[in-house]
Amino acid sequence: MCVGLSAKVVSVKDGTALIDAQGAKREVSADLLEELEPGDYVMVHAGVAIAKITQSDEDETVDIMENLI
Amino acid sequence: MNEKIKAARDIITNYSGRPLRIMEVCGTHTHEIFKIGLRKLLPENVELISGPGCPVCVTPVGFIDEACWLALEKGCVITTFGDLIRVPGTEMSLAGARAKGAQVRPVYSPMDAVEMARQNPDEQIVFLAVGFETTTPSACLAAETAKKEGLENFSLLTANKTMPNAYAALEGSADAFLYPGHVNAITGTGICEELKAKGVSGVVAGFTASELLTAMAVILKNAESGEPFFVNCYPRVVKAEGNPAAQKLVAKVMEPCDSEWRGLGVIPMSGMKLKDEYAEYDARKKYAMPKITGKPNPACRCGDVLQGKCKPSDCKVFGRGCTPEHPVGACMVSDEGACSAYYQYGME
Amino acid sequence: MAENTVTLAHGAGGKQTSELISKVFKAHFSNPEFTADDAAVLNIPQDRIAFTTDGFIVSPFEFNGGNIGKLSICGTVNDLSCMGAKPMYMTCAFVIEEGFPMDKLEEIAAAMEKTAKEAGVKIVAGDTKVAGKGQVDKVFITTTGIGCIMDNAHTSGTYAKPGDAVIVTGDVGRHGCTILLARDEYGIDADVDSDCAPLWGTVESLYTVTDDIHVIRDATRGGVGTVLYEIAEQSKVGIRLNAADIPVDPAVKGVCGMLGLEPLYLACEGRLVIFAPQDKAQAIVDKLHEGKYSKNAAIIGTVTEDNVGRVVMETEIGAQTLLPQPGGELLPRIC
Repeated sequence: MCVGLSAKVVSVKDGTALIDAQGAKREVSADLLEELEPGDYVMVHAGVAIAKITQSDEDETVDIMENLI
Repeated sequence: MNEKIKAARDIITNYSGRPLRIMEVCGTHTHEIFKIGLRKLLPENVELISGPGCPVCVTPVGFIDEACWLALEKGCVITTFGDLIRVPGTEMSLAGARAKGAQVRPVYSPMDAVEMARQNPDEQIVFLAVGFETTTPSACLAAETAKKEGLENFSLLTANKTMPNAYAALEGSADAFLYPGHVNAITGTGICEELKAKGVSGVVAGFTASELLTAMAVILKNAESGEPFFVNCYPRVVKAEGNPAAQKLVAKVMEPCDSEWRGLGVIPMSGMKLKDEYAEYDARKKYAMPKITGKPNPACRCGDVLQGKCKPSDCKVFGRGCTPEHPVGACMVSDEGACSAYYQYGME
Repeated sequence: MAENTVTLAHGAGGKQTSELISKVFKAHFSNPEFTADDAAVLNIPQDRIAFTTDGFIVSPFEFNGGNIGKLSICGTVNDLSCMGAKPMYMTCAFVIEEGFPMDKLEEIAAAMEKTAKEAGVKIVAGDTKVAGKGQVDKVFITTTGIGCIMDNAHTSGTYAKPGDAVIVTGDVGRHGCTILLARDEYGIDADVDSDCAPLWGTVESLYTVTDDIHVIRDATRGGVGTVLYEIAEQSKVGIRLNAADIPVDPAVKGVCGMLGLEPLYLACEGRLVIFAPQDKAQAIVDKLHEGKYSKNAAIIGTVTEDNVGRVVMETEIGAQTLLPQPGGELLPRIC
């Protein structure tokens, strides 16, 4: 139901963040996240940054599998 | 293929426990699972059912009729996520309305619809607000922005939905849920813990190939014990508390209401509507819309498909009268719909 | 103002029409065969010719990496080239909206001249009509072309054979992505330019490696995915792709990720899909890497006996799944 895109924050100004996903750039709303800074990674949905995210999916997968085995 | 992916694959292909029915709730999960071919790896005793988490699919026929009414009778410019444009209404889809001269424009974000309203003060812009907890904050943000700026030519036609009561309606239809990661990014994982306490198992899953594969491995590994379980397999995005700012905004702008789901009927308190303070941004009120009741095509079994009661290919019109080019039901329209996925990926 | 835009008088067939033709078109398309008569008279040097026509409408008419003029030459040149035919002569017919800026028309004609020159093709006849404001969207161009098929070229969409390698001459979906961005409907910005290019040189270079080339087809508005389904159907074979081997520009991937689109179904205007025997495939790709328009060429899959009419994708988790069938209007999937 919810196509999300992980992207890097390039700049933040007045509740709007410029994000970069592999070279595709767009302005999205930063109103729903506090203290967003350039260099942060966010999950974007429908033009709104909905979550600050921490690591790559590969790293996380490795952690989960290590716990599982 | 790296070692971890291989390890996850081995857990899945070697599963030999009790038969399991797993429901992926989210339409984006449905889409990605088909795209990476995850179903092909599952052993025979594991069945994956597509749940009601494609907002386009659960949007009732009457909602499309309402949007067409606004476009054709009131001359509004309809802005919408692209997937909705081809969903059949009682008489026509929005694409059909467009052919009759209606203005229908796909947008990436509700905030783009607000911008369109700013740029075109002489046009009446209506945004079709569909979606679950992930998407609702963006619609609320649009309403809040319009109110703040005093934009008089912007409104929402709402059909927003929430998952918790849908889970209750789905009780017994699956042994474990693949929870919709981006919904949980907003709501947090409290609901999953509550369901676990009631004996309902599940994992929160991400959307990339390796995330879906590991989430599936986690389900199958945990299912061996027979005890209810909950694991957050997507902690890089999903925090236990979710997104408090988003929750607060939604609580300010919208309130729960009864809501009709295609095929499931009206589920009490499973929808969201604008509060009275935002009445002027509610298209139904603003344009004094009469009550419009849609009539779905009786041959379509989207409702049963959405509840996991039948497979798309069990429906009489599947692949015959109903194809992605000429959809009868919404599940065939959206790329996230189970029928479309079955059809496109050649599942029998 | 009137002097700087195209008017209905320019299409009326009188003095102003002649002026437009000599000022804009003759200036750019001039060659010995360019006709002032009712039809061009051509010498065709051999017996097998390829003959094709294509109409071009694109909004916006200019975009990163080209304009409708360049596109209208490339489209027809590439259709001929795919038959192993050296493009020889072309005609072009314009339908121009009243009020279209004259300097833009000049730019379009200049792009056509440049592209035709590069492809070695001569524009020998043309037609100009002006339609009233709002009756067409700025400018439409139809081009028709004739090419001479090389003796050693025998390609057809029906010739793909089990065991053939499937080669694509570059990263996919760039033109479609460029147009999507140029329309600026989704507020997305990315450094992507169209792959629009005349590919006769590319085709010619293939035949320096081997004559044993079964299928050459240029991917256009349906993208590479549509071509693969067409060939699977025409040749009654299956196609197996390896998802990881399909070249996609990262920015195109980013845009597709934002909008939920599949790069294999975005338009290309300068990409060939080639089917050739497996043992020749690497030499072909090596040769392609030397070419101007095929630096990212790659082997993306093989032809199979089973799964007739289908395109199967080997995915990153080692499972096989169908590539979804080509659909209708491309609509972003967001929620």
